[in-house]
Amino acid sequence: MSGADPRPGAAQAVPVLELRGLTKRFGGLAAVNDVSFAIREGGISGLIGPNGAGKTTIFNLITGVYKVSAGSILFKGSPITDLEPYRIADLGVTRTFQNIRLFKNLSARDNVLTACHMSARYGLAEAILRLPRYRREEKALAVKADGLLEIMGLADRADLTANNLPYGLQRRLEITRALALDPTLLLLDEPAAGMNPDETEQLMLLISDIRKRFGLSVLVIEHHMDLIMGVCEHIHVLNFGCSLADGDPAVVAGDPKVVEAYLGQEDER
Amino acid sequence: MAQFLQQLVNGISIGSIYALMAVGYSLVYSIMNFSNFAHGSVIMLGAYFGYFCLTLLGLPFGLAFFLAACGTALVAVVIERLAYKPLRDRKAPFLYFIITAMGMSIFIDNGVIATIGPTPKIFPLARLPEFIRGGTIKLGVVEVGRVDVAMFVITVICLVALIFFIDYTRVGKAIQATAYNMKASALMGINTSFIIILVFAIGGALAGVAGVLYGIKYQVYPQMSGITMKSFIAAVFGGLGSLPGALLGSLLLALIETFVSGYLSTQLRDIFSFLILIAMLVIRPSGIMGKSMEDKA
Amino acid sequence: MEYIQGIIILIGINLIAVLGLSILTGFTGLFSFGHGGFMAIGAYVCAIFVARLHQPFALAILAGALSAGLVSVVIGRLTLKLKGDYFCIATMGFGEAVRIILNNVNYVGGARGWESLPKLTTVWLTLALDLVFVVVTWNIINSRQGRNMVAAREEELAAQMAGIDVFKSKMIALVISAVFAGVAGALMAQYMQFLRPTMFNMTKSTDLTIMVIFGGLGSISGSILGTILLVSLPELFRDFAQWRLVFYGLAVIVIMVGRPQGLMGGLELTPSGIRRAVAARSARRELAAADKAEAAE
Repeated sequence: MSGADPRPGAAQAVPVLELRGLTKRFGGLAAVNDVSFAIREGGISGLIGPNGAGKTTIFNLITGVYKVSAGSILFKGSPITDLEPYRIADLGVTRTFQNIRLFKNLSARDNVLTACHMSARYGLAEAILRLPRYRREEKALAVKADGLLEIMGLADRADLTANNLPYGLQRRLEITRALALDPTLLLLDEPAAGMNPDETEQLMLLISDIRKRFGLSVLVIEHHMDLIMGVCEHIHVLNFGCSLADGDPAVVAGDPKVVEAYLGQEDER
Repeated sequence: MAQFLQQLVNGISIGSIYALMAVGYSLVYSIMNFSNFAHGSVIMLGAYFGYFCLTLLGLPFGLAFFLAACGTALVAVVIERLAYKPLRDRKAPFLYFIITAMGMSIFIDNGVIATIGPTPKIFPLARLPEFIRGGTIKLGVVEVGRVDVAMFVITVICLVALIFFIDYTRVGKAIQATAYNMKASALMGINTSFIIILVFAIGGALAGVAGVLYGIKYQVYPQMSGITMKSFIAAVFGGLGSLPGALLGSLLLALIETFVSGYLSTQLRDIFSFLILIAMLVIRPSGIMGKSMEDKA
Repeated sequence: MEYIQGIIILIGINLIAVLGLSILTGFTGLFSFGHGGFMAIGAYVCAIFVARLHQPFALAILAGALSAGLVSVVIGRLTLKLKGDYFCIATMGFGEAVRIILNNVNYVGGARGWESLPKLTTVWLTLALDLVFVVVTWNIINSRQGRNMVAAREEELAAQMAGIDVFKSKMIALVISAVFAGVAGALMAQYMQFLRPTMFNMTKSTDLTIMVIFGGLGSISGSILGTILLVSLPELFRDFAQWRLVFYGLAVIVIMVGRPQGLMGGLELTPSGIRRAVAARSARRELAAADKAEAAE
């Protein structure tokens, strides 16, 4: 997506997510400084940059965890800046976390079932009295949750407490839980952290598969360059809270500024 | 005018005893981030220690005072080792600390009722030195009880010593560092386990002093820990975990209370304190002097 | 026989309050030390309806429950945004404020108490209501609203990312628990036949929370077991009246330190609950075996 698209029709296509001059200051420090980029509907985009570049902060801003200091965030063309986090999730933007945040003491199934709640409409009184709508919708939720677990290869571990799942499956469960919301945009925060090359490879396939199957857009933060280069169609690079580069993976990887930012970081270590 | 000054003096006197108790809550909170509800029971034990040293053992007042403080310091440390350390070791959520502290309080209070009995004890006036015995001193237009003067002076001495210790000694600085960030302090070579014991010992010793003074002014009885709730409110009011906050909160709360009961009604006083507590929590939960909390970041 | 009936009624009344608190504390993860306050509101409103306004008991119970629920909405609006520790303290302040205010309302007897209320609470009424409330609690927990509460307890941020309005879930849990406490209070008033504000002090609030924890957080059967044990044991040991609270305090400490998951550890005593526990255990074992095999290779 480097350069302006010459066709007038394509230019009008509304991006699924657009950041405009997004800025977040903690005290005097700008963790994110005037960042702008857009994500095409149905694509897989990557957000990369050295440690402390502000990637997770951007996720926190998009999902409403942090209040925006300046700039705006548009989801399918309408602003979601400073909405309550759960409202943003309601609209179809959800995420996973760098340090996995599952409902640890619940079974894998209940983790997914909980996130399915928006597919049901029954009220508390209907639940207390076990009215027909409650029974019908609960049955549908269970079918949906089991279906997702099946697709994600977690069906045989559905009764295990999330805590007791192996690390890789915990990451997978977190993605499954996010999918239960039927999101339009899925934000993945370092999904391959702590995985070996084999598992990373599998994850790459999984992400592509999910995207196709559920027709959603994905924005992924990652350090594994092979994962980024392998699945992303578009990359945005951050350094010290500022945009450094934006475009095709191949173009970005060749950008001297990007190489320098990463090498500079290696030196610090 | 005379009445106003009289209320002011009364308020300061009560405020000083609140402060002595509130500091114990705040110290522990600053390090461990939980409200140690067993502190009130330790204060109560201090009063009993002082009383028995004086009556049963017939020790001189100064020594009884000292032993009471040592005794409560020891009790506070034992409570920490037996009840809180296992919780710390398994990184239990703070609520388990609070519940354990409440259980400890129930245990100690009722233990005293079961062994010593529920009847209040009164410090024998004859065994007290003159400066703390009954009677009043006239200061211009106001009259001050000797007990109140002694309470104020002893409190000031203790608190000045505490502030000096925390601000100007190496160990004191280590306590501040641990309060600021326990993990980092441990990495910097501070023996945080020792610091925790020390903090409980200091809080306990001050509890002993407060217990004896309070017992002399009023009575010694098993449910004394109920009264110490006020000092806890004072600590919250000033900002849990902040020493200057605890002092300021105590003084303000005591002044508000004496003026409310002096000018409005005694019944309203307690309602007022709890309403202040709730209002404070709603408007500014970190209290007057507390660090304001940065969420999630 | 009447003695046994009395114990059953006491268990039954407490159970209703504990079930509500189980939703709030066990499933939503909010700790309250002020539910005695909601019980008090239920009790006094019910007594006013029965003894002063001469209304039927059913209406009086309803009025007590609704009053408690309404007050909880206000309290929730003010305090639910507070971080854990401060929410606890605020509820405590609320409970004490209710008690102290009641102390000063002469219309309902003030601090001296309100005597010779009619006895309307019977064993059968209590047991019937218990059955209703157990079913209601069970149905709430096994609904999407109930799962949202548990999500808020487990991981607040992730719950929000799953589109859950955490504040609303907490509010629902608080109101339900207050309504339950209100019903329990109403039954208590018309069983004891007298009311005194101290019946609903902080110790009462703490007792309720302790029953929930004793049975195991996040388990309805645990809450039932905890209530039965903790209400009946002290009653059976009435001869050791002065020691029972000592052991009670000790039991709380031992549970907190030794078995923090409580009796049931979050599991339910139902066929499917037991099946799930067994399945989870065998799956864990298989996993461990697989890991070992992998390590051996």
